[in-house]
Amino acid sequence: MRALHTAATGMMAQELNVQVISNNIANMRTTGYKRQRAEFQDLLYEHVRRIGTQTSDQGNILPVGVDLGSGVKTAGTPRIMTQGNLLPTGRDLDVAIRGEGFFKIQLPDGTFAYTRDGSFEMDNQGRLVTAQGNLVQPGITFPTNASSVTINAQGQVSVTVPGTTTPTVLGQLTMTRFINKAGLQPIGDNLFTETPASGTPQDGVANTDGMGDLQQQNLEQANVEAVTEISDLIAAQRAYEMNAKVVTATDQMLQSTSNMMR
Amino acid sequence: MENTALVGLSRQVALARELDVIANNLANINTAGFKAESAVFQEYLMPIASAGDFGGGDRILRYVQDRATWHDLSQGSTQTTGNPLDVAIDGAGFLVVQTPRGERYTRNGALQVNAQGQLVTSEGYLVQGDNGPIVFQQLDRQISISPDGRVTVMEGNSRQESLRGKLRVVGFGRPGQLEKDGASTFSAAAGQAPQALTNPRLVQGAIEKSNVKSVVEMTRMVEITRTYTQIASILQQQSDMRKAAIQQLADVPS
Repeated sequence: MRALHTAATGMMAQELNVQVISNNIANMRTTGYKRQRAEFQDLLYEHVRRIGTQTSDQGNILPVGVDLGSGVKTAGTPRIMTQGNLLPTGRDLDVAIRGEGFFKIQLPDGTFAYTRDGSFEMDNQGRLVTAQGNLVQPGITFPTNASSVTINAQGQVSVTVPGTTTPTVLGQLTMTRFINKAGLQPIGDNLFTETPASGTPQDGVANTDGMGDLQQQNLEQANVEAVTEISDLIAAQRAYEMNAKVVTATDQMLQSTSNMMR
Repeated sequence: MENTALVGLSRQVALARELDVIANNLANINTAGFKAESAVFQEYLMPIASAGDFGGGDRILRYVQDRATWHDLSQGSTQTTGNPLDVAIDGAGFLVVQTPRGERYTRNGALQVNAQGQLVTSEGYLVQGDNGPIVFQQLDRQISISPDGRVTVMEGNSRQESLRGKLRVVGFGRPGQLEKDGASTFSAAAGQAPQALTNPRLVQGAIEKSNVKSVVEMTRMVEITRTYTQIASILQQQSDMRKAAIQQLADVPS
């Protein structure tokens, strides 16, 4: 019976749904994390009696037909790229983006990745790096005697060197935007890479060309909302159970059929 | 006497079909924009067994046939998502989608932007505006969709809204005749032209969930399994009766 397989597609889809939700909940406190959502679509239909078929020479047509669907499929798990809340941390090297754009990060193999996670560090050579030690673009190196780091809304990094009163500008953080930021590929470590779906990266600086501005001593929190995730989780679990019931019902019917033979 | 088995069989086949419909509804209970289906049955008169000329003649036999499935096009519940690219249609109407097989209609408003900046469905099909597809520019931000379907953005650092197009929202004279085409889309039958809706009501940042009512589906499922079992036992009894008849009538006295 078709119902068995249809219910199986439903159970598989809900299992994936729970997987996506659990990943969102697991990353609730991950800086710069963007929540994902599982999207579903119905599968092909078998048109047993096609709507609009002519049923007589007088031109009568079927007003309704018999369409049998074959279940559900996962269309995708797109990311919802809305702004997360800013959390003040008081740390000089924490930067949050308010608005569009990503920080540009150089990976060890020379290629670039993009992130919304602005919890930067200084490495042993005084360079501005991510928590994994990847260079933040463009390379910014702090002098050894520098103090009081300032990163302004446009992304200019400046420090005060002993003996001078005016701050020295060390560089301006590169910001990148994409026409379809939901099409970026996540590679873990809060990093994304460019794909054919995202479009080509457009480099620029904060506060120009629709790029967001930067907030020093803040971090962007994940845009996961606990209430939404939990209610989605409940819905997914119930949907899974109902599909399991369909399997049971089909099984019962098949059983009563086979019991007819004694 | 075989007729009992055949009438019972026709009912069982129809019930199995109805369970298929319910299974599909429940599989799609979390599918955005999905519309539930119901099966409709009709009796089918057996034309041959009609020797009714004598008293106590044959009755006309009545079989069951599944005649149709119809879409329940009522509004599904809307879920607020806060995603600017999610659109729910409040009331009647469909979004128009350009697929390789032609124009299709959908109520699934979980939209995306592709690498060319065009507004697409999650399958990558173009969503149609009044003047062709809706295309965003590289520097666009803060996409906003008004209740009548106008898509506006802020371009670059500008404080002015720029119009990027107006979503095409259409209705049908007889929406029940739309045919489901998979991937949450409907196709129109030949001769059924879509009419532009004058006053659509779109809700940005929300998604229309499926309108499958789980309680209704579950109770119908219970009803189906019980009826199926009952008919199976009727068929069983009939089989026993025939077995007894053969044994007793053909009993040759020794």
